[in-house]
Amino acid sequence: MENFPILSLLIFLPIIGMVLILALPKDKDKTIKWLTLVITGIQVILAVIILFFFNFSLGGINDPSSFQFVEKLRWIEISGLAWVGKIKIDYFLGIDGISVVLILLTTIVTFIATLASWNISKSLKGYFALFLLLDTAMLGVFVSLDFFLFYVFWELMLLPMYFLIGVWGGPRREYAAIKFFLYTLLGSIFILLVMIGLYFSATETLVDGSKVFTFNLLALMDPANYNVTGILSPLNPNNLRFIAYIALFIGFAIKIPMFPFHTWLPDAHVEAPTAISVILAGILLKMGTYGILRISFPIFPEITQQLAWYIGLFGLINIIYGALAAMAQKDFKRLIAYSSVSHMGYVLLGMASLSTAGITGAVLQMFNHGIITAMLFIIVGIIYDRTHTREINAFGGLANQMPVYTGFVMVAFFAAIGLPGLSGFISEVLVFVGAFGNELIRVLTIIATLGILLGAGYMLWAFQRIYLGTLKDKWKELTDLTFIEYCMLVPLTIIIIVLGVYPSVILQFMSASVNAIVKFMANANIIHSSISTF
Amino acid sequence: MNQIVDSLQYIKPEISAAIFLVVIVIVDLVMGKNKKYLSPIMIIGLLVTGFFIIDQFKFSSFAFMSENNKYGLLSIDSFGSFFKLLIVFSSIIIVFFTISSDEIKKAKERLGEYYTLIWGMILGMFFMIIAADLIVIYLAIELLSLSSYVLAGITKDTLRNSEASLKYVIYGGVSSGIMLFGISILYGITGTTNIYEINGLLQSQQIQGLIVTLSAILIFAGIGFKISVAPFHFWTPDVYEGAPITITAYLSVASKAAGFALLFRFTKITFIDSINADGSWNIISLIDWRSFLIIISILTMTLGNFAALWQNNMKRLLAYSSIAHAGYLLLGLIAFSNEGMMAVMIYFVIYAIMNLGAFFVVMLIANKIGSEELDDYKGLGKTAPVLTVSLGIFMISLIGLPPTAGFIGKLYLFLALINSNMILIAFIALLNTVVSVYYYVRVLKYLFIDSSEKEIAPFGVTIPNLILLLILVIPTLILGVYFTPLVEFAKYSITLLGF
Amino acid sequence: MEIPIEYYLLLSAFMFIVGVVGVLTRRNAIIVFMSIELMLNSANLTMVAYSSFLGNSVGQLFVFFVMTVAAAEAAIGLAIIIAMFRNKKTLNIDEINILKW
Repeated sequence: MENFPILSLLIFLPIIGMVLILALPKDKDKTIKWLTLVITGIQVILAVIILFFFNFSLGGINDPSSFQFVEKLRWIEISGLAWVGKIKIDYFLGIDGISVVLILLTTIVTFIATLASWNISKSLKGYFALFLLLDTAMLGVFVSLDFFLFYVFWELMLLPMYFLIGVWGGPRREYAAIKFFLYTLLGSIFILLVMIGLYFSATETLVDGSKVFTFNLLALMDPANYNVTGILSPLNPNNLRFIAYIALFIGFAIKIPMFPFHTWLPDAHVEAPTAISVILAGILLKMGTYGILRISFPIFPEITQQLAWYIGLFGLINIIYGALAAMAQKDFKRLIAYSSVSHMGYVLLGMASLSTAGITGAVLQMFNHGIITAMLFIIVGIIYDRTHTREINAFGGLANQMPVYTGFVMVAFFAAIGLPGLSGFISEVLVFVGAFGNELIRVLTIIATLGILLGAGYMLWAFQRIYLGTLKDKWKELTDLTFIEYCMLVPLTIIIIVLGVYPSVILQFMSASVNAIVKFMANANIIHSSISTF
Repeated sequence: MNQIVDSLQYIKPEISAAIFLVVIVIVDLVMGKNKKYLSPIMIIGLLVTGFFIIDQFKFSSFAFMSENNKYGLLSIDSFGSFFKLLIVFSSIIIVFFTISSDEIKKAKERLGEYYTLIWGMILGMFFMIIAADLIVIYLAIELLSLSSYVLAGITKDTLRNSEASLKYVIYGGVSSGIMLFGISILYGITGTTNIYEINGLLQSQQIQGLIVTLSAILIFAGIGFKISVAPFHFWTPDVYEGAPITITAYLSVASKAAGFALLFRFTKITFIDSINADGSWNIISLIDWRSFLIIISILTMTLGNFAALWQNNMKRLLAYSSIAHAGYLLLGLIAFSNEGMMAVMIYFVIYAIMNLGAFFVVMLIANKIGSEELDDYKGLGKTAPVLTVSLGIFMISLIGLPPTAGFIGKLYLFLALINSNMILIAFIALLNTVVSVYYYVRVLKYLFIDSSEKEIAPFGVTIPNLILLLILVIPTLILGVYFTPLVEFAKYSITLLGF
Repeated sequence: MEIPIEYYLLLSAFMFIVGVVGVLTRRNAIIVFMSIELMLNSANLTMVAYSSFLGNSVGQLFVFFVMTVAAAEAAIGLAIIIAMFRNKKTLNIDEINILKW
């Protein structure tokens, strides 16, 4: 198992699938669908194999030796001249406890999203080809340990997403797609600038003893690697690390999306087809918080400490604002979209605590939110497919007409509210415990508990308006779940319940890494402050 | 006399170009109405010329020196050979474009003149690239300009064509007049026309900075016209839209490459003081050349990108996009370092491939549907998948998104820029990239998202065109993920004679 | 009596400005061309004046090249104007506007 490139297989399998699909003739609709399903299915199996061989005790984060399934190849190597150093970029993959959770999430959600795409009829070939390309890009982001590689995957995701929303979306799809594209690209230029700045600030020592500039994320985390002249070097008294941190944070925050950069999200969600909404909320949003945890935190630990309160504040704003906005929505899908904004606020709050409980809660919340929101969007999709409306007030009393469906809805809604026994509860509790433990953000945490109340409010109110009350005549023909819909909802429900009852299934994978990052952040602060006194 | 004979070995590519110019004229005369041998002769001529250029990479020397000084009229170095090779490459591509262009087929009786004038342009560009003397610079620019004025209107029956030609000649005439005036002033205050000698004088003597700045700006007007930077860009959209598409593509790549090579040589040789060990340049403090270029560059890219937002004609859109790219390319000069120069060389190769590709697809589509308007592009994604997907790839590459080659080009520019501590400029340029996304993606929207109101029968590509298209698409993708050879080549070619 | 070089330079600067103003304000394509010629000739005058002032022949040599090029440019320009006139029956550059200026 040691030398088998399982991560490469995982991320490039969809590309192989894409090529196969493009090679198939146009009318082989069934083959294309099944091929995609098989490939995403294999990915789930691969993810489970990875979990099986995963060593819980290794932390990762900044220590190259404790990353697992590492693949490191020299990708670009250009010998130096007198005036320009050697250039090298590695194809460097590896996972630790944080990425393994997100890989699992990605493969599961993608598999479910493939099922959710079963009804797509317009240009099927293009749809599934882009879908698989998107799959590669997402997994690539979660396993890259080289900033350059990370950035390539990060941007690779833009284009398939643009087309998936733009071609297969709702009536205002063009507007939503371009808005998504422009917002995300705006974010990535900040990331690009910081990436180049970091490149010139740190060197990595190669095996032969020579020093080269580096994109290696792990090398960038070590203050000893920085040079004195680099603009983002802590050793440089006039460094721009503070500005760079904010720029990088904005870059990732647009993806989360953090208030006030969230406005692309409701539009994108409302216009996107169900499967794409599932992917968008289930996986893409996590890329933002993952980026902060993987890159911003360990590379700029001293500034993270300085700004932790503000990160917490933005988390709080997200929680409250998202909840209030959700309450005001008349469109079911928009409501779920804003609930995502609110739930991602918990992730930010948990991360801002910089404590073991808080960060564990944040990572778990990423996973749980991915699963729960995926389910919620599928629920919206099911009802939209049947009625072609998402107006909350147009419904009422669906519980009688579609009892099984409403049962699943209850699980998803209660999980989203954070009812004990379901997965959402555990992560929210951990976030609050962690955040409350940090005196700095204690006040914010207390206010944030209001978010739970608001969350319960808008969810239950929506539930009441849609599923309870008297059934309108025009919905008397509605049928209950189909086989494919069962296939989508049952696995998600099982995950939600299992994680609610026995969260250690997931927690055991991440605990070593979370401890490592908490310890690293605490120590790094001491190292950085000793450097600045020199 | 001996010097002159000795120097001939250094200008073999130029001699070869001149000979083939004459050969085309003679063959055209002899064969009369039979035009089928002209294109093969062009290709042979370009390959021969290309061979001489590759052979020339070993030289680093002056040619045509006079007895009493140590500098010559021409400087032969690998930097020049690099750009000459790029021009030969784009010329070969353009000949293939010409073979499948319907526009040129209609004016088939003028194919002989067409190719002759292309050789004229090539010759002009070659001399622009290696010129080390203001006289040669002026003559080379004029040779290039005069040939391209006529080529822009070669199919003279259409009003669009002759209008493009007239506008080109008026703007070109004015800018060469301004440049000549600048040259006359520079000659007056230094007493020489050799840029190496001018550099020596600027370094050693007290010369009034104001007059040097004035003459430098006036000369920049002439070069700026060729590379179409603001505020000398007004001709670009009109000429690009009006000229036959093969010529538009050629102007946007080859003529711009020659202009940039000249700008680099002129700036580096004339205004440089010394080069530091890390490859950054010390510019003679007499003039604030950098601030001037920063303003021009930002103005150019902003103007190009914003004007492109409103365009509905594909050629015009690509014209504004090429203006914006000229702005990005100037960033490499602004870095004032060898690294910046290398970035521009890398960018140019990539730019040539993707821009030629975009124009090629536009031409093939125009051959079929007879229009370059974006409104007529609606729904083509379904009717012509191969062409439109290729166009999509070129558009993505022009934006500069990974994993296409355009990203690598931009990455190297920004690496150079940030290494020279110009973060704000880099940021502005990147914001411009975000703006540019809107119009490039708009093309994709028309192709793939909108559906057509008219019925268009699906159409494919002929095999030769498909091969040519793949020759342009594959590097656009490959260079995005594996760019080592390109960078090595640029690094190898970076020697600029003198510094 | 020796005429100081400043006089030549002032004259050529004046000619250059007249040329630029002519290009910008006149609307007849032929007159625009004449203005361009005026600009080229002002540069020639500068060059000849400096050449004699510095006692160096490069400037005069340059002028011969410029005159040749200017002739070629005028020939091409006029040919293009004729092609235009045949199509459009006007030489007013304001009316030559299929392509937006």
